[in-house]
Amino acid sequence: MDAVHLKRQLITFTEQLFREGFLDEQFNQLQQLQDENNPNFVVEVVSLFFQDTERLLDELSKALDQANLDFKKVDGHVHQLKGSSSSIGAQRVQRTCIIFRNYCNEKNVQACLKCLQVVKHEFALLKSKMETLFNLEQQILAAGGPPSI
Amino acid sequence: MGTPLLWRAFGSVSGLTRPRRNRAAGAASPHDRDRIFSADVKQEDQFQYAKTHCLSSYYSVFVARLAIMVMLAILIGLLTILTWHFTRSYTTKSLNGLAYGLRYELLQRPILRMWNILNSTVEITTAQVKLSEYVIRKYNKPTSQAEQIELYEMMKEVTWALFASRKALNAITINYRNGFVQAFHRDHRSNNTYYIYSDLSNYSITSSGPSSSEPLSSLRGWNDQSIHGNLSAIWYREPLDPTTGEKIGKARPILPDDLINIAGISQVPDGTATWHVAVSKYSDSPLLSAALPVWDPSRENIVAVVGVTTALYSVGQLMRELVEFHSGHIYLTSQQGYLLATSSNTPLLNNTPKGPKLMMANESQDPVIRAGAEWLKRTYGDNYPPSHEVHVENARLGDQHYYIDSFFLNLKRLPMVGVIIIPRKYVLGKVEERAFKTLIILICASLCILLIGCLCILILTNGVSKEMKLRAELISHLDARRRAEASSNYKSQFLANMSHELRTPMAAVIGLLDILLCDDCLTNEQYSTITQIRKCSTALLRLLNNILDISKVESGKLVLEEAEFDLGRELEGLIDMFSVQCINHDVETILDLSDDMPRLVKGDSARVVQIFANLISNSIKFTTSGHIVVRGWCENLNSINEDTKFSLEHKKPLCALKAKLLKQHGKTIIKRALNLKKDSTAILWFEVDDTGCGIDPSKWESVFESFEQADPSTTRLHGGTGLGLCIVRTLVNKMGGEIKVVKKNGPGTLMKLYLLLNTPTDTPELLHQENFAQHGISVVLALHGGMGRSMMSRWLAKKGVFTIEASDWNGLTQTLQELFHPRRSGSPNSSFRLPYSIVEAEMNLGDRIVAQNLVIVIDIALLDLSTEIWKEQLRFLDRYSRRVKFAWLLNHDTSNAVKVELRRKQHMVMVNKPLYKAKMIHILDTIVKETTMSSSDERISRSVREGEPHECLEMENIPFECVISSDESDTTEAANNAEARGDLQVEVSDQACYGKHIERYDVFNGSEGKFDEGRCEEQGNSGSGNPAPNRGKSLEGLRILLAEDTPVLQRVATIMLEKLGAKVVAVGDGLQAVNSLNCTKSADSKEMNRVMPGLVGTERSPTYDLILMDCQMPKMDGYEATKEIRKSEAGTGLHIPIVALTAHAMSSDEAKCLEVGMDAYLTKPIDYKLMVSTILSLTKRTDP
Repeated sequence: MDAVHLKRQLITFTEQLFREGFLDEQFNQLQQLQDENNPNFVVEVVSLFFQDTERLLDELSKALDQANLDFKKVDGHVHQLKGSSSSIGAQRVQRTCIIFRNYCNEKNVQACLKCLQVVKHEFALLKSKMETLFNLEQQILAAGGPPSI
Repeated sequence: MGTPLLWRAFGSVSGLTRPRRNRAAGAASPHDRDRIFSADVKQEDQFQYAKTHCLSSYYSVFVARLAIMVMLAILIGLLTILTWHFTRSYTTKSLNGLAYGLRYELLQRPILRMWNILNSTVEITTAQVKLSEYVIRKYNKPTSQAEQIELYEMMKEVTWALFASRKALNAITINYRNGFVQAFHRDHRSNNTYYIYSDLSNYSITSSGPSSSEPLSSLRGWNDQSIHGNLSAIWYREPLDPTTGEKIGKARPILPDDLINIAGISQVPDGTATWHVAVSKYSDSPLLSAALPVWDPSRENIVAVVGVTTALYSVGQLMRELVEFHSGHIYLTSQQGYLLATSSNTPLLNNTPKGPKLMMANESQDPVIRAGAEWLKRTYGDNYPPSHEVHVENARLGDQHYYIDSFFLNLKRLPMVGVIIIPRKYVLGKVEERAFKTLIILICASLCILLIGCLCILILTNGVSKEMKLRAELISHLDARRRAEASSNYKSQFLANMSHELRTPMAAVIGLLDILLCDDCLTNEQYSTITQIRKCSTALLRLLNNILDISKVESGKLVLEEAEFDLGRELEGLIDMFSVQCINHDVETILDLSDDMPRLVKGDSARVVQIFANLISNSIKFTTSGHIVVRGWCENLNSINEDTKFSLEHKKPLCALKAKLLKQHGKTIIKRALNLKKDSTAILWFEVDDTGCGIDPSKWESVFESFEQADPSTTRLHGGTGLGLCIVRTLVNKMGGEIKVVKKNGPGTLMKLYLLLNTPTDTPELLHQENFAQHGISVVLALHGGMGRSMMSRWLAKKGVFTIEASDWNGLTQTLQELFHPRRSGSPNSSFRLPYSIVEAEMNLGDRIVAQNLVIVIDIALLDLSTEIWKEQLRFLDRYSRRVKFAWLLNHDTSNAVKVELRRKQHMVMVNKPLYKAKMIHILDTIVKETTMSSSDERISRSVREGEPHECLEMENIPFECVISSDESDTTEAANNAEARGDLQVEVSDQACYGKHIERYDVFNGSEGKFDEGRCEEQGNSGSGNPAPNRGKSLEGLRILLAEDTPVLQRVATIMLEKLGAKVVAVGDGLQAVNSLNCTKSADSKEMNRVMPGLVGTERSPTYDLILMDCQMPKMDGYEATKEIRKSEAGTGLHIPIVALTAHAMSSDEAKCLEVGMDAYLTKPIDYKLMVSTILSLTKRTDP
């Protein structure tokens, strides 16, 4: 496929992500940080985010499963998730985290569980989107287009 | 005379119309009229001028017409008057002469008669006197009564004899001295004759005695008394027989009243004869009486007086006769004006109581005579002219005109005046009538002639004026046309002048759009929009260019350059360019220039290119599938070598053309030949042949007109303005050529043109025609396009190069198998055919060809690029790579991956499509070079192959350069066919980018490690120097400890800081952070004794300029860590800035942070700018 065409597709897709609120300005900053020194920086960071988040989500579900809920722990995890998601600009995840933390403070177990589901859903969505995005980038590279996004 | 009047009238008319017009104009546009409508006004003025001109000519015609008419009228009038005058005056004159003669004659005759009467009277009187004298002498001295009586008797006899002899006599009287009277009297009325005598008794002879002594005194004594005094005497009258004189009656005494006039002595006072006119009672006409004395013999005494009386009656008779014959009136008067005789019957005497008396002429009862007499009296009064002669020709009496003539008859004692009155009508009546009629006829005729003449003139001048009007109209039309042409010319010139102004912004727009298109951050929609804009702009530019070209040509501003250029190369560039466009259309573009084409020609390259660009783009527009062939061949004008290939086709027109050419361009050619003796003019023939929809033969001529398209639907389907071919023809004609559409077999259009171009003869013949046959080269043409392939193979065969054709992948594989495994794969149903020599095919082809150089020119399109099969195909070809050379024909959009792959497989010869002769030669040259090298030194060839990447790149770049250079020249000269070029430009620039990118990539990969080292070095250098103020590296040289547990954040922050130039050490939690800080501190503390504190940059144990601390971390959170750090710092005087990083966005958090000893506070996500400013503010503060 034409590299240029792919690129246009990529740009369109990114625009869409921004518009739908999956990503925010932070992601652009992230992209700006990528240069010759760190050619795969964005992918790297985002993968890190995925791993970290998966881990956090795992822990969160575990923590929420327990009989006596340690809300502090849950809050810490959510806080962390919030921090990391905001750092890569995963806006929707971040927002959900804020709500999550509020419920944590209220010690509302049901709401917390619900929030966990939402976060998981949001994360899955984001992950798939980001994977599409990176796939596109890879394709561009393969088609001989410029490696920058 | 009428002309100035007319002019004045005309002036006033035009003066009237002008202000009205101005007023109207003023009402229409009160403002800006002068500026905006000045042109209009001028035009209108001119129009007005033409109109007035027309009007003036009309008036002049009118005036001329009038003048001619007047002249004609004058002429005819003059002619008429002259004719009338001459006819009339001469007649009148001659008639007048005649009339005078007549009148004279008429009057003369009565006068003559009068004269005769007088004469006869005188004669008789004289005779009577003589006789009386004789008788008296005889009886001299009568003494006795008897004697006396005898004497008287004697006298009576004698007198009777005389009296009887003269019948006209009225009376003869003899009055004797003694008073005796004897008289004979004839009464004409009663026709009686009387003898009258007095009584003798009273008279005696003696009585006369005394008187004889005193004759004179006695005479006096005699006098009238003797008669009238002698009243006592008794008179007797005796009637007599008129013929015999016999006494027929008794004498009777008569009364004195009845007496006739008896002449007495008183009538002869002086003794001579006297005359007088008398009247008598017996006659109604005057009587002429003459008296004569009778002397005695001694002549001393008068013895008697004889009186003779004659009636003038006969004169009147004569007059009457005359007048009866001639009409008119005649009368005689005495000098006193008494009428003597008239031609009328009116009485001449007045009967008064005293007896009849003579009447005056003006008392006559005849009206004409009276009127004439009165007229004479009135005119002359008493002052008659001396001779009494009057001739009046036109006297008006009553209501008629008369001639009046009077003659004077001067008789002694009785002068007479004769007057003749003849009515003018009698003499000139007919003449005058005729003259009047003639005059009337003449006037009528002249009027008619005048009328007809005027009509004729009117008609004639009408025709003339109509013609003049038409001519004036024609002139004004011509004028208008000239003006229109001029204005159109102005338009053309204006457009031609505007060309630069119009093109520059368009070029800028397109350039900017190109830049925008190259930009990466465009969405698909934006991209498509911009592409659309660009297409529109290029279309607009093309349209503009066409219009401007046309206008330039029309305004005559197009000047062809005369510069040498490589025609072949230009055309190749053009074909390259268009082939890009054609590939999408499935149309093959082929350039077929014959070898005899001069390489260098002189002319305007841009315009030549424009011609072909227009033609080819036109062909492309209408060709959906098939091919477009541009053929070219040369023909030297000086020695026409008829090309064998086209001779059959063009033999006939060629001869004709040559003749025409020589006629048409003979001069210019000679001129050129004189100017540039080195040059020789060549006729370059070209054909542009396509397989499109074709042109209807009826439109073959008209397609070259401007704005003309073969089919009205063309605009709808293909767009365009119809200017392209017009420009082409104009340009071709300007180059001394011609273009026309030629009939061709099969579908499509065949445009044929020739150009006259100079070829510099002194150019060295390019000896590129190496004999490839020598090198034993064979070529397999594996090309998609059938037309190009067959053309190329034909050409190669002509060159002595053996060729085999293959149209697709299967064909190629079969060919290869046949060539290299002839025995194994000798399948009878092979599609491979040897087109040229079956004999050769019979031979061991494989051996023969392999021994030579076999070149396979292979189209990239033969590979299946849509899937991954092409790699397999390449691998298949790779098997032959040692035995054959591959030359690849690439599409402009062949992906880089394929190229890289090809290069990797050592397929080094790659050219872009389309394939034309120059490229083929290039390929073969390269291969020949290669083989010669390899044959000479195997090892060197190996090394050459090692270094071949560069060569291959070079070679690949050749067409690019070629295209780019031509493109540049095009854009600088005239951006014609901007769309095609623009597309190409994009493609080219893309390709160039790719090429460059690959180059860069290679270099990058090759020297990655080195690059990193260099960069580190650079970093170090810059670190020792002052920190660069630029934003990119604002944190240059800072060492920062980052404590962050979230890996994502950690990574992001690290990169962020590193990008800013800082050196970052990242730790996972607070404890690590504290530890690392303490570790460095402990290391520092040793050295710090030796080295100046604050000196940063020691490599082994870096101290930190700043700590970025996440607040929430496992093991030890940010607050704890900070507290720890501050605790350890206490006493050392050091204060390392610590910046909190927290997701807690509440002010309480901030307060908490500051409470534990942190310096600043950053919230997640990290804001780039805020972070930089915070860090900078903190580090500066701490900087020494």
